[in-house]
Amino acid sequence: MNFLTIVTRSLWRRPVRTSLTLVGIAIGIAAVVALVGMASGYEKSVVKQLEVLGIDVIVSNMEGGMMPKPFDAKLQDEIRDFPNVKKITSVLMRMISVEDAPMMMVSGREWGGFTWDQLSVVEGRMPKDDKERVVVLGRLAAEVLRKKVGDTVTVEIEDFEVVGIVDGKSVVENGAVILALPLFQEVSGYEGMVNFIDIQVPSEADKEATQALCDQIQKIFPEGRAVMAKEVVGTSQGFKIARAMSWSTSLLAIIVGVLGVMNTMLMTVFERTHEIGIFLALGWKRRRIVYLILCESAILGLLGGVIGVILGAVTCMLLEMTPAIHGLLEPDLSLTLMSRAVMIAVLVGVFSGLYPAWRSSRLTPSVALQG
Amino acid sequence: MTSASPTNKPSSLFEAIELKKEYDDGSVPALRGVNFKISEGDFVSIIGPSGCGKSTLLNMLGTLDHLSSGSLLFRGKSIIDLPDPAAYRAKDIGFIFQSFHLLPTFTVAENVQIPMFGMPWSRAERKERAVKLLDSVGLSHRCDHMPLKLSGGERQRAAIARSLANEPAVLLADEPTGNLDSKNAVQIMELLDELHQERGMSMILVTHDLDVAGHAERVITMKDGLIVSDDKSSEKNSSYKS
Ligand SMILES: Nc1ncnc2c1ncn2[C@@H]1O[C@H](COP(=O)(O)OP(=O)(O)OP(=O)(O)O)[C@@H](O)[C@H]1O
Ligand SMILES: [Mg+2]
Repeated sequence: MNFLTIVTRSLWRRPVRTSLTLVGIAIGIAAVVALVGMASGYEKSVVKQLEVLGIDVIVSNMEGGMMPKPFDAKLQDEIRDFPNVKKITSVLMRMISVEDAPMMMVSGREWGGFTWDQLSVVEGRMPKDDKERVVVLGRLAAEVLRKKVGDTVTVEIEDFEVVGIVDGKSVVENGAVILALPLFQEVSGYEGMVNFIDIQVPSEADKEATQALCDQIQKIFPEGRAVMAKEVVGTSQGFKIARAMSWSTSLLAIIVGVLGVMNTMLMTVFERTHEIGIFLALGWKRRRIVYLILCESAILGLLGGVIGVILGAVTCMLLEMTPAIHGLLEPDLSLTLMSRAVMIAVLVGVFSGLYPAWRSSRLTPSVALQG
Repeated sequence: MTSASPTNKPSSLFEAIELKKEYDDGSVPALRGVNFKISEGDFVSIIGPSGCGKSTLLNMLGTLDHLSSGSLLFRGKSIIDLPDPAAYRAKDIGFIFQSFHLLPTFTVAENVQIPMFGMPWSRAERKERAVKLLDSVGLSHRCDHMPLKLSGGERQRAAIARSLANEPAVLLADEPTGNLDSKNAVQIMELLDELHQERGMSMILVTHDLDVAGHAERVITMKDGLIVSDDKSSEKNSSYKS
């Protein structure tokens, strides 16, 4: 028998309570993994999309929820002649419900813009021009909407024929309904408006030159912003909100977990007053008893954390398969996130054990023995 | 041979001077000024009516509770406000209780090993010692049993094995036979006699039972938190009168 035997024996003694506590922590940690995994997955998916499309600078409005507010498309003509603008195109992108899918990216792209370049046709063909009233679907979007080439899909108020299914090399692209800009402006009631201007800079333009371009655009578009693609995720309000929401919800889940473990450990200490009295009478140092209780709660945290991470990962994968999310993002189940979650769980355990441990260390042995 | 030379005088194990203990902010005086000396190797019983403070006194000797006032020496050193009472409890004394106080989730052998944590012994050494101790109390066949599966007498023998874990100088026993039938009580007392005689261990035994008290060489009688008689007769049980 060693110290660890003593720690685990106490946990095993109350299997029901121990497992309920584990479930409590596990759910909290699963929520952390799922929420943060989804939020950061969304960010990563967007970064990937920008990378694939070769976008260096993005011009958009500051405000807006998931998507920034549209603005006048004429801005593009002013920016076109700025130095270091190699390619420029504009997009009207909205997250709307399309048929059965509650949230889907619909992307109206300026005909001939470089954002069409990376799309490769998997089936069917591309639209002939921006007059043809048709759409192409990203691979995942086609899957979610259960559409084949030749079917029609209703976007806002109009039915469009699906002429092609495309691969865009990133989840966001593959999860989108893509059509020519004027068509989308028309059906969504945003004629003459776009919400993104995407700019590619020449390869010789360095970070400073790109930043200079951003500053120049900012001057003529003070209510909006121009940022380098690499920074868009860090600065965008939508992402900030998503991140804050996922972490604050997680925090709540963690607090629930803390209360659960604390309750268990406190009950354990109350019930084990007598046992603690025996340990004291047999010459155990208070410090060792405190350590025993902290180890118990840390192990509860560790086990709960591991179960929670597994649960969270499974939840992410299940969520990713639902039509609401499929094609919007790829959950980010990085080792960093998972190990961080387990670490949080262990900390939760130790933290929850502090008060009970302190209480147990205050017991007078003779009184504890009677209890 | 009329007077023992000072060097032959047995050295002091415990010395109590005006021990006082009050519970509940002074409203319950449990000990009201107790004085005694107990020498190394003594076998002392403490008797007296219920509530007279016997257990309280034993708890003081075992540093299981704080004194209200007075002083208490173990081998000449004060054990009040010891910086590390745990070490004293672990190494110098062994406790036996009326209700055994075995830990129900640990096997008998594991119970015996509990006091050994904090001693510089390996896991294997702890185990080996526990088995030896259990063998010495006649429980070698019960090592891996749970305490609740044992009879009362066996439980008390396991508790005695545990109290011996770190070879203490003295056993403090609070009604060790209180929960046992007479046959088992006799066996336990024989075991304690043996430990006293063969190993020279000191015993301080609190009891209601006069037969049990008779095993001691000295009987201290308490009443209302005071010692009312201290019979040091070497003839066992010769002068105790109820
Ligand atoms: N923790 C405590 N809080 C308050 N009063 C206590 C406490 N422990 C003991 N007492 C009181 O102190 C007095 C002495 O108690 P103690 O347990 O020492 O008696 P005892 O001689 O061992 O009696 P018994 O033979 O019944 O075991 C009693 O009046 C008891 O009620
Ligand atoms: Mg008592």
